[in-house]
Amino acid sequence: MPDFLDEITGCIPALRRYANALTHDRDTADDLVQDCLERAIRKKALWRPQGPLRPWLYRVLINIYRNNLRGRNRRPSQIPIDDVAEQLFVPAAQTSRIALTEMASAIDKLSGEQREALLLVVVEGLSYAEAAKILEIPLGTLMSRLGRARTALARMTQEDQPNLKVIK
Amino acid sequence: MTGSQPQITEADLISYVDGQLEDQRRDAVRTHLAANPADARKVELWQQQNATLAALYPPLDTGVLPERLDVYGMERRLRSERADWRNMAAASILVLAVGLTGGWFGRGLVSQVAEPARSIVADAAQAHQLFASDVLHPVEVRADGEDAANLPKWLSKRLDRKLNIPDLTRHGLSFVGGRLLPSSEGAAAQFMYEDKSGQRVTLYIVAAANSSDTAMRRSNVGSLETVSWDDETIRCALVGNLPSDRMDAIAKDTYQQLS
Repeated sequence: MPDFLDEITGCIPALRRYANALTHDRDTADDLVQDCLERAIRKKALWRPQGPLRPWLYRVLINIYRNNLRGRNRRPSQIPIDDVAEQLFVPAAQTSRIALTEMASAIDKLSGEQREALLLVVVEGLSYAEAAKILEIPLGTLMSRLGRARTALARMTQEDQPNLKVIK
Repeated sequence: MTGSQPQITEADLISYVDGQLEDQRRDAVRTHLAANPADARKVELWQQQNATLAALYPPLDTGVLPERLDVYGMERRLRSERADWRNMAAASILVLAVGLTGGWFGRGLVSQVAEPARSIVADAAQAHQLFASDVLHPVEVRADGEDAANLPKWLSKRLDRKLNIPDLTRHGLSFVGGRLLPSSEGAAAQFMYEDKSGQRVTLYIVAAANSSDTAMRRSNVGSLETVSWDDETIRCALVGNLPSDRMDAIAKDTYQQLS
């Protein structure tokens, strides 16, 4: 058990970041991570998942996230997006605050499945194969979700990027 | 464009941006971008999206974790809860004995023991008895029938849960088929398996109203062995006539494949 717990602990920062990105609310995100960790420990009592833990933990977390959504039947975020941006990032030198706020709001408007997929790949840095396995979808489905997510993001964020407006 | 140029798809462009192409393909995309400014702008936009996302969701400070995310504490707590539960179960048996002999002294204590969720074992066993003995029509959708491919999708839809059909061939069990059943918990799915001698094992699944996990519970209904458990979104019971150690092994494998 100690090895298992050590390995889980190593995954917590990534899980929190992912949960934060999904929910845009720190407390909700930590609730999600807490549920995920508890479930992982309970499950461990019955069987040891094969292979690395990180992808499996994402899957457990996503299942809980979807269940909660289904249970409450509400949009993932209920907080004003300005607060979200405020909460989430330390102002970065490279990217303007406006661009970040805009991106946060665009992410919020993506469909759940697009958001789950895009964040796994772009933010969590998982390979397409790993992400497809976590989401239990074929690779082709993952690719088309990523494509649609990127198109939607571009549509929602390109107002202040006149040089890119020509792109359809 | 020459005929020998590999066709560059949108998937290639996205994979390029996400750094998921092999060297050779990456070089091909670079060549393609040099000659196609429209695609190059698209790629630039996506790269910008990635940079913005990375800035928006930076790695979290790993310094101090909130106490509630401490897995060591969590594990200790869960272990003691399990022990408490066992003690409580033992206590309730004691209380029952006291109650039987000692009149009302035990009553206040009995009611403190939390009521377990209604067991699905009885329903599962009943469904098993009804259908496992049926030679001609044991299932509604046969594994070798035309509709077989749609079975998991159909039952997933009816239970509003993602279900897949566990593969139990390593236990010498082949899949016979499945059916939808009414139950006191709403729709139930039943999967049937059989071994070479025709011994049948059924897996009975209903949707769980609130997510919880439990350990596996073993019980006997008449001559039938059952193993039941709750797992996040579903509640399951495995029913059959096989020896209990085999039933345990099958249940664990099933649990693993369903979660």
